[in-house]
Amino acid sequence: MTVASFGDIRAIDPANVGDGLVPQILEALFAGLIDYDHDGNIVADLAERWITGDDGKTFRFFLRHGVRFHDGEELSADDVKRSVERALHPSAPNPYASYFEPIVGYEDFVAGKANELEGVQAEGRYVVTFRLKNPDVTFLPTLAMPVLRPVCKSAGHRYTDTWQPCGAGPFKLEPKGWEHGRQVTVVRHDGYFKPGLPYLDGVRFLFRVNQTSQRFRFTSGELDILADFLAPDLVKFQADPRWKPFGAYHAEHQIAGEAMNTEMAPFDNVEVRRAVAAAIDREQIRLVRAANLRVADQPVPPDVAGHDDSLRGQRFDYEAALEHMKRAGYPYDPVTKTGGYPHVIPYVVYKQGLAEFTAQVLAQQLARIGLRIEIRVVNYPTFLAIRGRRGQSAFGPGSWTQDYPEAQSFLEPLFHSKSIAGEDSNNWSYYKNLRLDALLDQAKRELDDRKRKAIYKEAQQIIIDDAPWAFTYYYRGYTQWQPYVRNYRVHPMWTHEMSRVWLDRAERPGGAR
Amino acid sequence: MSRATLVGATIVVIILVFAVFGPLFTSHDPYASDFLRGISPEHLPVGPNGTFVLGTDRLFRDQLARLAVGARVSLLIGLLATTIATVIGGAVGILAGWFEGRMLDVVLMRVVDVGLAFPFLLIVMALGAALDRTTPITIFITLGLTGWLGTARLVRAKVLLLRHLDFITAARALGQTTPRILLRHVLPNVAGPLIVVSTVSVAQMILAESVLSYLGAGIAPPTPTWGHMLFEGQDYFATAPWISLAPGIAIMLSVLGFNLLGEGLRDALDPQKK
Repeated sequence: MTVASFGDIRAIDPANVGDGLVPQILEALFAGLIDYDHDGNIVADLAERWITGDDGKTFRFFLRHGVRFHDGEELSADDVKRSVERALHPSAPNPYASYFEPIVGYEDFVAGKANELEGVQAEGRYVVTFRLKNPDVTFLPTLAMPVLRPVCKSAGHRYTDTWQPCGAGPFKLEPKGWEHGRQVTVVRHDGYFKPGLPYLDGVRFLFRVNQTSQRFRFTSGELDILADFLAPDLVKFQADPRWKPFGAYHAEHQIAGEAMNTEMAPFDNVEVRRAVAAAIDREQIRLVRAANLRVADQPVPPDVAGHDDSLRGQRFDYEAALEHMKRAGYPYDPVTKTGGYPHVIPYVVYKQGLAEFTAQVLAQQLARIGLRIEIRVVNYPTFLAIRGRRGQSAFGPGSWTQDYPEAQSFLEPLFHSKSIAGEDSNNWSYYKNLRLDALLDQAKRELDDRKRKAIYKEAQQIIIDDAPWAFTYYYRGYTQWQPYVRNYRVHPMWTHEMSRVWLDRAERPGGAR
Repeated sequence: MSRATLVGATIVVIILVFAVFGPLFTSHDPYASDFLRGISPEHLPVGPNGTFVLGTDRLFRDQLARLAVGARVSLLIGLLATTIATVIGGAVGILAGWFEGRMLDVVLMRVVDVGLAFPFLLIVMALGAALDRTTPITIFITLGLTGWLGTARLVRAKVLLLRHLDFITAARALGQTTPRILLRHVLPNVAGPLIVVSTVSVAQMILAESVLSYLGAGIAPPTPTWGHMLFEGQDYFATAPWISLAPGIAIMLSVLGFNLLGEGLRDALDPQKK
């Protein structure tokens, strides 16, 4: 089975998830204590089951017996603890380490004051206990990410970038199975703990293949799955009755919007931000790439827990936008086209992304309420640097993809004041609201789903009304597969999850391969 | 005048007229997306029709209006960059040629050698990438400052021939100052080749600007330039080829026009061909 991608990966190691493409490969190679199923539920995997303590702070995982790593060794509770410590040790370039800050002893361990992570303990060969400082609703969702998944003994106790990836997942990486910048080839792990799986002999992941080339290779049968499209190609596939049954949208877990820096003029004035949120005709923005975009009115995308249809979301209302401009002190007269904000606002955008185009529609729309923006196109690293540096950029596109399907994965990094930093800030609006901070902290500790939903509702309403972002669209990807690919379902977290997929060789053009 | 020259001159005149008056003849705003008439039922751009003579681009704006504004930008950059390149190249060439073998000549020519050793587009792209904001002004200055090297070489060679001719010696014998000789006697005699080179150079500059804009180092959107229009159309080439074809053909024609005109001028101004 062969899939291709436009992008590339930097490392294959749970302790170094450096890009958006590698999770699907990690999912093939490494099994975790728990995982997400195809409906987005958290389910037991290497663990047979787990027990949550009454206080919500203790989690006991009971490992399956006889689970074999790719090297043939049996998985033990010590391996789990070793892998967690390896991934969280300060020597690992792990961008997600801080997600596990709720674990007891995390601070001492990452500061090098403790040799072991106190909150993770092996009890005998088959039981692992995680202890948290406070009840934390993000713990299971983050544990189900690839970051802490058990790795073979060959990985040792500390991260090295020369390690040959080895785990307990359905597929294994052969020696030299990764040709950097070109492809990764994984083959069936015969000792996989789920009997009979996986069905495929192997999967080839190709990198740096542009969309046009992918489409031709897909239609000629060289690729079995196509997930990177040029917009017009996607329209053609969806319109073609021969292809339509073999395609599906991915879960919606990406939000895009216009991030306004609340520390810089004119967006330090909440009325200007509200004017922008009301001036954007989201339906027009959507048409820039209609096959992939859906109109957004709130920060949490539809397929993420915490999305709330009962919210009074941001929406296009031209009269209201003019009214907000007036209240901001910049009244604009659309008839004479006079008034408005007197200065031109720089809007920093990166080259050759969708935002370069949506920005041009945005400029047309904001001009109608008296806000003139000047688009500055820079390369992507420059864009990231400028956006994350305090006081540098007043206005620009924002976009965020979930790490785990929970509102916290959006609200905390983007809008909590603790996400403000001088450099590499995730809170691009430099938005600070103590009430919101308190709500988000409270939601994190609230284990009751109904109560948490109510807290998120209040938190999101604050964000919607204060408008540090004007939300524009949810992005949803699309996957097209060959008719002979069977049992394929788009996975809400990993996109491609191949352990149960098989190829119907009889139908495959050109016979078996 | 040869037929090729005539064709070249005609193309150049048509493009100039299009650039100057074109924007006046379309009722569409080159910057406004038309979400009602400019979009197909599949949410793709519409092809050439009665409303949009050249169809719409991927943001559903009128291609003709954008092509006309793009012509202004492209020609303006081509002409101004060439002017800068010609002035610098001419001056350097005359000085270096006149002071052949002296320190000034050696220094200037080494600068030119080093400059010519770099691929022209590479320098331009590096400069384009280094500049934080690119406007038409930065582009034509960048192109002008990097485009004079060949001109300087050519003019210097011509001056080397001139300076030993009798009329120069005569001027010197009459006691004329060097600046006066350079201005009154040398410059008019190198003007012919200079004009020819600069005509061809306009074509090169238009092409260079297109490449820059195509690669994303050019002028920021939404200002249309032919090169950027080409870039914007590439993803849609299979479904909406008009988006790329219109600026592509415009670039091709203008380069052809200026090249033909340049060749014609060379023949007309070359004394040996008369």
